[in-house]
Amino acid sequence: MNLLLPEFFLLFLTFFILSLDLWRNKSQSALSFHLSWGGLLALFVLLLALPYDQEQVYFGGYTVNGTALLFKQIFVLSALFTVLLSRPYFTPGGNRRGTLKYRSEFYCIILLCTFGMFAVVSAKDLLTVFIGMELATIPLYILSGYQKEDAFSVEASTKYIIMGSLSTGLLLFGYSFLYGCAGSLGFDAIAAVAQSSQDEPLLKLGVLFVFAAIGFKLTLFPFHMWAPDVYDGSPTPVTAFISVSSKSVAIAFLLILVYGPLAPMHGYLQPILLILAAATMTVGNLGALRQLKLRRFMAYSSIAQAGYIIMAMAGTSEAAWSSIIYYLFVYAAANYALFFIISLIGRHGNEEFKSLQGMGKQHPVLAAVLLLTLFSLGGIPPLAGFMGKFLLFAAAAEQGFYAMVVFAALNSTISLYYYLLLAKEAYIIKPFAVKNNLLQTDIVQKVSLMVLTSAMIFFGLLPVFSNAIRATVH
Amino acid sequence: MTLSHCVILSLILCAIGVYGVLTRRNLIGILLSVEVILNGANINFAAFAHFRAVDSVAGAIFPIFVMAVSACEMAVALAIIISMYRRKRRLDVYNLEELHG
Repeated sequence: MNLLLPEFFLLFLTFFILSLDLWRNKSQSALSFHLSWGGLLALFVLLLALPYDQEQVYFGGYTVNGTALLFKQIFVLSALFTVLLSRPYFTPGGNRRGTLKYRSEFYCIILLCTFGMFAVVSAKDLLTVFIGMELATIPLYILSGYQKEDAFSVEASTKYIIMGSLSTGLLLFGYSFLYGCAGSLGFDAIAAVAQSSQDEPLLKLGVLFVFAAIGFKLTLFPFHMWAPDVYDGSPTPVTAFISVSSKSVAIAFLLILVYGPLAPMHGYLQPILLILAAATMTVGNLGALRQLKLRRFMAYSSIAQAGYIIMAMAGTSEAAWSSIIYYLFVYAAANYALFFIISLIGRHGNEEFKSLQGMGKQHPVLAAVLLLTLFSLGGIPPLAGFMGKFLLFAAAAEQGFYAMVVFAALNSTISLYYYLLLAKEAYIIKPFAVKNNLLQTDIVQKVSLMVLTSAMIFFGLLPVFSNAIRATVH
Repeated sequence: MTLSHCVILSLILCAIGVYGVLTRRNLIGILLSVEVILNGANINFAAFAHFRAVDSVAGAIFPIFVMAVSACEMAVALAIIISMYRRKRRLDVYNLEELHG
């Protein structure tokens, strides 16, 4: 039961925080905050201490191995930074849009959502993966509507739940066809059918439905329309959580599916994945070009990033797993750094491009962090984002898809343009009026930004991290 | 009744549901359409379990899990729709247009 410890610890932590809150009479004290981040940090240390070279199957349908543990690290880190990011939103005056209420419930929902993500990456059959996916998505609907007084937040969560439940329905149809042709819910049985009878129409119908459904969650091209609205309307910590955790879990699910039960059909799936990747990154990049609001901009940027990540799935199993896990770490670090800066701006001003003006003069350190983050997202060499993109592109290039790699590189150039638009606002454009509200960072924000920035720098400079990930995947 | 009858029925239900989601203006109507899709998938599971599967128990219990999960989902959806109604006093999807750009 050694490898199941993180799951038990996470559940225990959630119910401890929840029951403590009942017992302490709903005070708005900071205790639940300290318990949440402390517990998540302890959980991360626990995950690091587990062995990464073993594979254990529990109850026939739940497996824990090195790659699952790596994904769990991403989810735990993402939940940790969401908790840290959300702190000012619960104090009066911490955000312009209003103060959030029900603090410990917020943390509990995030922790339970993380538990669902744990279940998805460890699943060995369709039932576990379905339950895990629902556990990971339903809390997000609640979180995106957490600011009940705010019309935007409510609208975002309404849109999210309609699109999300439609995609659940399609996912179930896909599962039922996969079950129909395999005769069993286990991934092994589906792999056997995919091996023996590839041209079975039920199998292809199932794959089609599952891809359409996962396209919703992953914001792939024809199904990406909900993302900008949801990102724009939700409270900022929730937006950060959706953009990192929810995206990672959808990618993990797709990786498990493409290299697990559907591995024998990989040659058939490759062109589909490449077309989806090309369309998604183009739409994301072109959409980001004309945005003025920061969170809407982040939505399009993350759509484009999903395109790059999907491209790597045309490669071999090892290359895809290692490059995508590495890229998710890097992407999470850069995204959270940017969201910390957005939350600082959102304290007194609107979260839009204009609010960045004058930052280079007034807050040189913050502006430098912003610049590093943008370079990392765009993929400028010494930073981690470059290494990440390089590995993703290499995974596709190994299989000989050079045209696709060139296309992605061109797209990456477009993305560099709009990332630098942000830097231009911060450094070059002079503010129209002198701003009185200086951005104040507290100790939590300083430490988090420091950790995230050093992650962006050292993940790129030191090859230790990518080598460790590659060693685990092998 | 054969397997193909059941699969065709479930696909028809799926089509009705998707059509409903796309054309309904009332949010409750959209939720009902989603339920129709989910129940179509349940029929599919039951039919495959009955006619085809090696492991027929798995297919028979899957719809039960689906019902439980979709009940949770609908509870959340109704809560969100109520808070939406409190803000706008209408349940028309054409009210959902403040976020755009």
